Amino acid sequence: MKSHTFQAKQLVAGYGDKKILDGISLQIPSNQISVIIGANGCGKSTLLKTLARIIKPLSGEILLDGQPIHSFPSKQLARVLGLLPQSPIVPEGITVADLVGRGRFPHQSLFGTWSKKDYEAVAEAMEIMDITALANRHVDELSGGQRQRVWIAMALAQQTDMLFLDEPTTYLDITFQIEILDLLTDLNRKYGTTIVMVLHDINLSARYADYVFALRQGKLVAEGKPSEVITSQLIKDVFGLDCMIVRAPVSGAPSVVPIGRHHAGETFVLEASR
Amino acid sequence: MERNRFYPKSFIPVLVIFLVLFVLGIIASFMFGARSLTLQEVIDGLMKHQGEIYETSVVQKRVVRTIFALCCGAALGIAGVLMQSVTRNPIADPSILGVNNGAALFVVCGMAFFQINTASQYIWFALAGAVLTAIFVFGIGSLGRGGATPLKLVLAGAATSAAFSSLVTAVMIPRSYVMDQFRFWQVGSVGAGTWDSLVLLLPFLLTGVLIAVITAPALNALALGEEMATGLGVKTSLLRLVAAFAGVILCGATTAVAGPIGFVGLLATHVMRMLLGPDLRYLIPMSALSGAVILTVSDVLGRLIGRPGELEVGVLTAFLGAPLLIILTMKAKVRSL
Repeated sequence: MKSHTFQAKQLVAGYGDKKILDGISLQIPSNQISVIIGANGCGKSTLLKTLARIIKPLSGEILLDGQPIHSFPSKQLARVLGLLPQSPIVPEGITVADLVGRGRFPHQSLFGTWSKKDYEAVAEAMEIMDITALANRHVDELSGGQRQRVWIAMALAQQTDMLFLDEPTTYLDITFQIEILDLLTDLNRKYGTTIVMVLHDINLSARYADYVFALRQGKLVAEGKPSEVITSQLIKDVFGLDCMIVRAPVSGAPSVVPIGRHHAGETFVLEASR
Repeated sequence: MERNRFYPKSFIPVLVIFLVLFVLGIIASFMFGARSLTLQEVIDGLMKHQGEIYETSVVQKRVVRTIFALCCGAALGIAGVLMQSVTRNPIADPSILGVNNGAALFVVCGMAFFQINTASQYIWFALAGAVLTAIFVFGIGSLGRGGATPLKLVLAGAATSAAFSSLVTAVMIPRSYVMDQFRFWQVGSVGAGTWDSLVLLLPFLLTGVLIAVITAPALNALALGEEMATGLGVKTSLLRLVAAFAGVILCGATTAVAGPIGFVGLLATHVMRMLLGPDLRYLIPMSALSGAVILTVSDVLGRLIGRPGELEVGVLTAFLGAPLLIILTMKAKVRSL
C-alpha cells in the first residue's frame, strides 16, 4: 500500500448554528491504526465522517497528499480512501458476492462492466475475510459477526490505501469484536492499510490502536500512542470518570478500571500503572 | 472463482421465460380483439401489404398498437425501478406517487385554457405536470420526522392523486369540448397508439433508458445507503436528481401519449426483484421486459374481456397491481425501510 499524508486543518463542522467540531487540526499517521475516542456526543463520529468526506466542513480543510480532498474527482478519491459507516443498508435479497462486488464501483467504467481485476479483487477480499464459502448466501440470513465481515470484505474489494470505520464493532458480542479488530490488524500489518476508526470501548482502543485521538466537546484534547496518552487524568477529562489505569496482562496496553461510587475505598492494587 | 457467481442465479431461465412470454404476448396481441383472427390470417395480413384485404388493415393497426404497448410498458417498468431506487422505497411507482394524475391535470388544463389539441402539445404539458407533481409529492412526503418513509409517500401520493383527479373533473365538467377530447385521450389508452405518437414517445424513451443503464451501477451503490455510496465515490444528490429526472420523463411521456396507466412500474419491478434479486444492472433491463409483457398482455385481456368493445388497459393493471401494493405496504411498515 502506498503511504499518504492525510491532514485536517482548523476543521469546523456542525449542523446549522451548532458547532460539533470546533477547530480540529490533525495528521493521520500513515500505515498505522488510529482510533478516535471520546464520550457520547463529543463529535468523534462527526470527525470521522468529515474526514471521510461524508459531511462537508463549515470551514477548514482536509488535505490528501497536500491537496484539498474536494479537488479530487470523487471516484479517484474513492480509490484511495474507503469508508464503512456505522449502519449501512443491506438491500433485500442481496448475496454476499454481489454485496462485496459493489465495492468495485470506483474502479469501473461508465457501464459498470466487470474486468478480470474486479473478479480477482472480490475473490481476494472474500478470502481474507474468510467468507468465500458464503458467497452465494443471502446477507439477510447471516449472523451479525458474519455480516460485519461481509461489509469489511466490501471495503477491501474497494482496494483503498486508507480505510475509515465508524464503530465497526457495535452490536457485536465480545468474541466478534475481537475477531473484527484482529482482522483489521491483520490488514494493517500485512498490507500496510492506514486504518482510522471510532471505537466505543476504551480498553479495546488502547489495545488495538497504534495512535489515539481523544476528543472532548468538539476539540482535540490529546493524541499519541495509547501507552503515553491514556492516563487516569485524560479519562477524567474526556469521560468525566474516576478510574485507575492498569496494564492489561495480555497486551501490556493501558487498561481502564472505573472506580464508581460503591468501590472507591477498596483498592486492591495488583499491578498498578506506571 | 467462477464468473457466473455474479449473475443472479435465476437470470438465464427468467430471461428465457420472459422472452417466450414476450413473443406469445405479441402474437396474441396480433390475433385477438373485437374480431379475432387465426394465426394464418395474421401471417397473411403481415405479408400482403397491398390490397384492401380486411385482415391487412386490422393486423397493421394491431402491429402499431402492440409496438406502442411494448414501448409504454418498458418505459413504465424502468420508471418504476428508477423511482424505487431514488427514494429507496419499494412502493414508489408513478401512479402511486400521483405523477400520472398530475400529468393528466396539466393536459386537461392545457385543453381548457390553452386550447391544445395535438399529441405533440400534450406531451409537454404532461411532462411539466409529471415533474411538478413528483417534486410536490416528495416534498409533502418528506415533511415531519424520518424523511420520506414508504407510508408517508403513499399517503401523500394518494391524497395528491385524489385531489388532482377531482380537479381534472372540475376543469372538465363545464367544458364539453374538453370532456370529449380528454375522454378520447384517456380512454384511448394504448389503443390510440399511432406511428406519430410512437415517434413522439421514442426520444424520451431512449433518453430515459440510456440514463437508467448508465446510472445502474451508481444506483447499486446508493442502495447501500447515503454514506456508503459517498464513500464509494458517488455524488448522491446529482445521481438522485438525474435518475429521478429520467423516471419522471419516462412516465410523463408515456402518460402524454397513452393516458394515465397505473401500477405497471410496481408490478414489473417486483416480479423481477423477486426472481432476480436486487442487482439493478439486471433489474433495469429486465423490468423493461416484464413491463412490456405485462402491459401488452393486459391490453389483450382488456380486448377479450370487454368484447365487443374493449376494457381500458389501465383498469386491468390497477386490478392486478392494487393487491400487490397492499402487501408491499404492510411489509414495508414492518421492516420500516
